[in-house]
Amino acid sequence: MSVYGKKKALEAQAPLKPQRRRAAFYDLDGTLVDLNLVHAAIYTLANVGEWSGRVSYLLGFAARIPRIYAAEQRDRRLLNTVVFEAFKGVSRDRLLSIGEEYCERIVIGRLFPRALELIEANRSAGIEPVLVTGSPDFIVAPLARHLGVADFAANRFVFSRGRSTGRLAEPVMAGEEKAAWCAEYAAARNINLADCWGYADSHYDLAFLAELGHPVAVNPDRRLRAAALSREWPVIHFETAASSAQLFDFGNDRERETDREREPDSEQSTRGSSGAG
Amino acid sequence: MARAEGKLKELKTAELRHETGARSELVVRVNRRSERRVIPYGEEFLFEKLPVGTRVIYPPPPLDPLADADQAIRYALLHPENQNPLFAQLSPNMRVTIAIDDLSLPLPPMRRPDIRERLLNQVLQTLADYGVDDVHLVIATSLHRRMTEAEIRRVVGERAFKQYWPERLYNFDGENRAELAMLGKTEHGEEVWLSRRAAESDLLIYLNINLVPMDGGHKSVAVGLAPYQSLRHHHNVATLRDSHSYMDPTRSALHRSSDRMGRLVHKSLNIFQIETAVNTRMYGGMLDFLHKNEDQFSDWDRTRLRGFQWTMRNLSNEMRRNVLHNYAAPYGMIGVWAGDTEAVHRNALAKVFQQYAVPVKGQADILIVGVPYICPYNVYSIMNPVLVQCTGLGYLFNMYRNKPLVREGGTMIVCHPLRDEFHPEHHPSYIEFFHRCLAETTDAVELEKNFEREFARNPTYIHMYRYGNAYHGVHPFYMWYWGEPARQHLGRVIAAGCEEPEVAARLGWEAADTLDEAIAMATSEQGRSASITYLHLPPLVIADVE
Repeated sequence: MSVYGKKKALEAQAPLKPQRRRAAFYDLDGTLVDLNLVHAAIYTLANVGEWSGRVSYLLGFAARIPRIYAAEQRDRRLLNTVVFEAFKGVSRDRLLSIGEEYCERIVIGRLFPRALELIEANRSAGIEPVLVTGSPDFIVAPLARHLGVADFAANRFVFSRGRSTGRLAEPVMAGEEKAAWCAEYAAARNINLADCWGYADSHYDLAFLAELGHPVAVNPDRRLRAAALSREWPVIHFETAASSAQLFDFGNDRERETDREREPDSEQSTRGSSGAG
Repeated sequence: MARAEGKLKELKTAELRHETGARSELVVRVNRRSERRVIPYGEEFLFEKLPVGTRVIYPPPPLDPLADADQAIRYALLHPENQNPLFAQLSPNMRVTIAIDDLSLPLPPMRRPDIRERLLNQVLQTLADYGVDDVHLVIATSLHRRMTEAEIRRVVGERAFKQYWPERLYNFDGENRAELAMLGKTEHGEEVWLSRRAAESDLLIYLNINLVPMDGGHKSVAVGLAPYQSLRHHHNVATLRDSHSYMDPTRSALHRSSDRMGRLVHKSLNIFQIETAVNTRMYGGMLDFLHKNEDQFSDWDRTRLRGFQWTMRNLSNEMRRNVLHNYAAPYGMIGVWAGDTEAVHRNALAKVFQQYAVPVKGQADILIVGVPYICPYNVYSIMNPVLVQCTGLGYLFNMYRNKPLVREGGTMIVCHPLRDEFHPEHHPSYIEFFHRCLAETTDAVELEKNFEREFARNPTYIHMYRYGNAYHGVHPFYMWYWGEPARQHLGRVIAAGCEEPEVAARLGWEAADTLDEAIAMATSEQGRSASITYLHLPPLVIADVE
């Protein structure tokens, strides 16, 4: 007699069932790379033309800072819209070449090594990587090539006669739009989202993470960390694995201090959450 | 066995209490005038009336600790079992690795200085005296979570920490392929993998704490420093079903397997094993009443119990865990032995059984146990439902030699609130295991066949194990298998005081609001004359069931 009915005979280990297609959706800024959207915007605007043009673009961007700050408080989509308005008039060719340069000179060097390790481990386990980010496509495309990622979703400019209009093409990759894109992507490839993994760092990505069967908070900001803990999502730290050792989370003041230093409040951050994605 | 009456009279009182024959008073029957009994209930304690006739088994009182622990350690190092003294095995250019039990022992963590700190200080001093510089200290975590810097500092002490952390004092990493070495296969085809650093050392010194007889021996090295590739040969359903019980190494397939592996390790490595045993002084000071027979409670004891219950009830979950997990036990060391693993372990086992064993006559129809706030896998963490299952069916059910305390087809009542609570950083794979795998099946064979390898090789869980503080992805499966002998033996498990019946249902258990209701449910099937036994904790007790 047993709690679970008749004793079952032990069977030899059967081979694993054929794996269903699975994907891992990665946010970029703050998740895979220690950069943010504002950094990318400033770098791009500081390299778009002659000195006078650069100064003009940078001053224009500086004038937008209060709006950027306000947008960052309210809505990620609005933030993306406001930041990318500063690119109005920049030529498509220039953006493409700056994107290549920014990726090669800055982004690749700022990728978290353990993030790369995880992407490769997931790939080896048959989980295909997909980038889902609010960063502009002219930066994401060369990075995806570098990482060997076939598919990505990024923000795209609307161009008119070869120059950026400063407007973003729909869908703007932020918040729920990311979740919707993942659902469409999975449906088109007969992938079950319940089998997929998602990695993101900002509370603005809650909808995106909640859409997936295996959400993971990576270097989470304060609000995402709270949400992840309450939803019992895994939390991982790419940048400071050694210091993430202080994880006893029952009112450990020292750890909270460390967290504050390591992951500034998203509302005041100049990193991660102020960038899209 | 009990000594002759005349011989008993010659013994001092403290020794007399520990003679097996003198332990009959540790098994008591509840009568109408009996006091209520203290029962661990997660982060609280119940104080409940048990039915008349219930048999209560109390742990033996703590053995007296060694008068001078440091002197005893020194003696053990100088007079090892079947080996040369430690100093005689040393030469200046040799490579030495010291492996140390992790924070899963003892429970709760002990007051400083930790036994491991005492051992380490003397071993390191000896190594320094003989000019041995190439020394690494490895925390033998196997697939447990990495210990944090603060936890390691607390265990090894300031001296070793300052000298060795972090380059030469670190956690074992069972997923760092470059740091693993395969030593061969046993005659049963079991692959023996080990930490490469340990495998390539001229001398491996293991520092152990035996809390229960399951610990120590070959299991220390062959499990503590081994990865999944080795553990899967004994941490599986077939092996654990053939273990009766885990606390009786002579009848445990788990131990037979780890012994085979350990002997193979011994062929390749020179191992100097140091084992210690602690007494049962789990709670002291204001909480020492927890060790008492409730019939002997004074008013002061009752007041303290009430105060403790009131405090625990009125603290937030976070505060309550903080208070409980920061409590350090005043364990005393009752023995230390060094030298050859098997000889050392024989001595340690004898002492541990001397401390824990209580003779009990016959099995019961119904066994009541209370699951406390802590088990080896949730130190400074949350006792999730999978761990409650492991503690109840895996550990407490197995606290026997010869025969289980409850008869085959009997009922086990597990007192615990059973909340759907997990620590996402320590137990991430448990969450998926509970919500996905157990929702599909509770059958251990099916779980092993369909899910184990997927979890064991899951990149995110591996990442969290290696760089975070998570238990390995496969760990919840081991916890489930751990309860397998009990599941095979019992007819029914009832969670008493269960707050979330769906959690109990997910584990394949029934839920009862109160202990009285659980007993009524059990007796409705077993009959009103059903015999009931309550295994009293804390501290721990092992029943020698006749």
